Amino acid sequence: MILEFMRDDHRVCDELFVTAENALSDKKIDEAKKLYEEFYLLTNHHFDMEEKQLFITFEKRTGMMGGPTQMMRYEHQQLRAQMEAMLKALRDDKYDDFFGIGESFMIMLQQHNMKEEQMLYPMIDRALSGDGELMVETLKEMPKGNPL
Amino acid sequence: MFNGLSLEQAPPISVVLRFFITLPIFGIVLALLMIAAPDELLTLGHWYSLGAIHLLFLGIVSMGMIGALFQMQSVLGGAPIQNPHRHSLIIHALLSVGITALVGAFVWNIPVLFMVASIALGGALIYFATIMLPLLFGTLSHDTLKGMRFSLLSLFLTATLGVIMAVSYGSGVISDHHITVRTVHYSFGLMGWVAALIIYVAFQVVEMFYVTTSYSDWCKTNVKRIIGSMLAFKIVGLVGNLPFVWVFDTVVAVLLTGFVVTTLKRLKTRKRRVGDVSIWFWFAGLGLLMIAIITYGAFLVLGLSSLVSVALIAFALFALAILLGMMGKIVPFLVWFHLNAAGFMETPIMSTIISTKRLKLTFWFFITTALLALMAPWYPWLLRGAGIVALGLFTVIATNLIMATRLYAHVLKTGTKFSFDIP
Repeated sequence: MILEFMRDDHRVCDELFVTAENALSDKKIDEAKKLYEEFYLLTNHHFDMEEKQLFITFEKRTGMMGGPTQMMRYEHQQLRAQMEAMLKALRDDKYDDFFGIGESFMIMLQQHNMKEEQMLYPMIDRALSGDGELMVETLKEMPKGNPL
Repeated sequence: MFNGLSLEQAPPISVVLRFFITLPIFGIVLALLMIAAPDELLTLGHWYSLGAIHLLFLGIVSMGMIGALFQMQSVLGGAPIQNPHRHSLIIHALLSVGITALVGAFVWNIPVLFMVASIALGGALIYFATIMLPLLFGTLSHDTLKGMRFSLLSLFLTATLGVIMAVSYGSGVISDHHITVRTVHYSFGLMGWVAALIIYVAFQVVEMFYVTTSYSDWCKTNVKRIIGSMLAFKIVGLVGNLPFVWVFDTVVAVLLTGFVVTTLKRLKTRKRRVGDVSIWFWFAGLGLLMIAIITYGAFLVLGLSSLVSVALIAFALFALAILLGMMGKIVPFLVWFHLNAAGFMETPIMSTIISTKRLKLTFWFFITTALLALMAPWYPWLLRGAGIVALGLFTVIATNLIMATRLYAHVLKTGTKFSFDIP
């Protein structure tokens, strides 16, 4: 339940990011900026869903406070820093920097997603057992951030 | 088990780089062998030819794959290798000594070197198995991990049979089953270790890095089963001296063709369109794998030895293409990752660690080497040309690695770390 919902959200974020990259490659600057900002908001919302709901519930149910969820929070920090750097590069019209940071960001993001999908989400699904559906509803209702 | 979730738990950069940096050294030795003895290298079963094959598959392909496994283990397996520095140092040293001795034994026909190779490679095998297998057979389980387990078990079987053969060459006692042992050795090495590992890495990497549609669950579940069962049937067929053993090779060839077609389809319809030299290597690798399959099929029908030479060369180049494509991403990422994680403000972006220009140069050297080598079974003198270009290829790879390492060391020594201290 959680695995499918969060994995689908990963894919939506991935596609938004590559659409922004593709638009910038095609010199469609305004479109790229708009798409990247959308990606930025959606990915931060994804991290918020995890940090403000999913991880806390998991930690309460299992008592694992300093385990995998803490590691994922640390990786979110690193990914957020890179997303900020890319946003700045776009706003300053430093497109080579955007692509350069984007390359390492993509590898790091995919490693992060892989670990969540293969390890953490299945653990959360087991911990939530029958309450998975309710949690998905709660996550869907979480407000997204305001446009930049 | 949760340690693998942390990026902080990634092995030190030296753990991976020591394997990668050895790769062009063996590559340069191979290139020199191609220049010095093209006719001998193209004679199947010649000692020089066996030396070259082991330089390529052990010294270059396996060395690179084992280095990459040290990095990937914590991500895919969920648990990092403890004391990675010490373990990688020991495995790398044993492998380097073993490969050097084995190639020396083949080229100069010195029996005692076969014994040295047996001890060193056997030691590396046992050591690697004791640290890797418990991690891979932990509680975590997914298709890529199962594929890696299958590949590693194939590697251990390949290596065990290789050690047995090296001992028999060293002692001069060749058993009646030598041909069967040799066939099982290279079948598991080429299909079970090299092909299966690349396929399972592709299942993970192609979808993630190039944002493509997923491979089907059927593929992910059944590839290892089909390769494994066909190899097992082949052993039974060989031991029982049964006819139609070629049927099992044909099934694997059909499976590999399916892999080429589905991967090409995914890469061509990938959503991530930004320029990336690693994609060129994937296309080249898949094309080479297709050449290997077609020429091997033609060999089964026509029986021309030149066709089996082309098939073997194309298969080796396929593995090399994928390895070089992935190294072009892994090395800059590792340099960036370790410096960034340490908080250096001067952390360079990936494209300045190994420039796109040098990656493209690597690709064109590779393609030229491949074209010349593939024609060499009919025009042996071309192998000398391929050797000269391969010398350039491995020199560029060595330069890329050395410059990336120097840049890493420079930032580590002179860089400024972010500080959040409040005065």
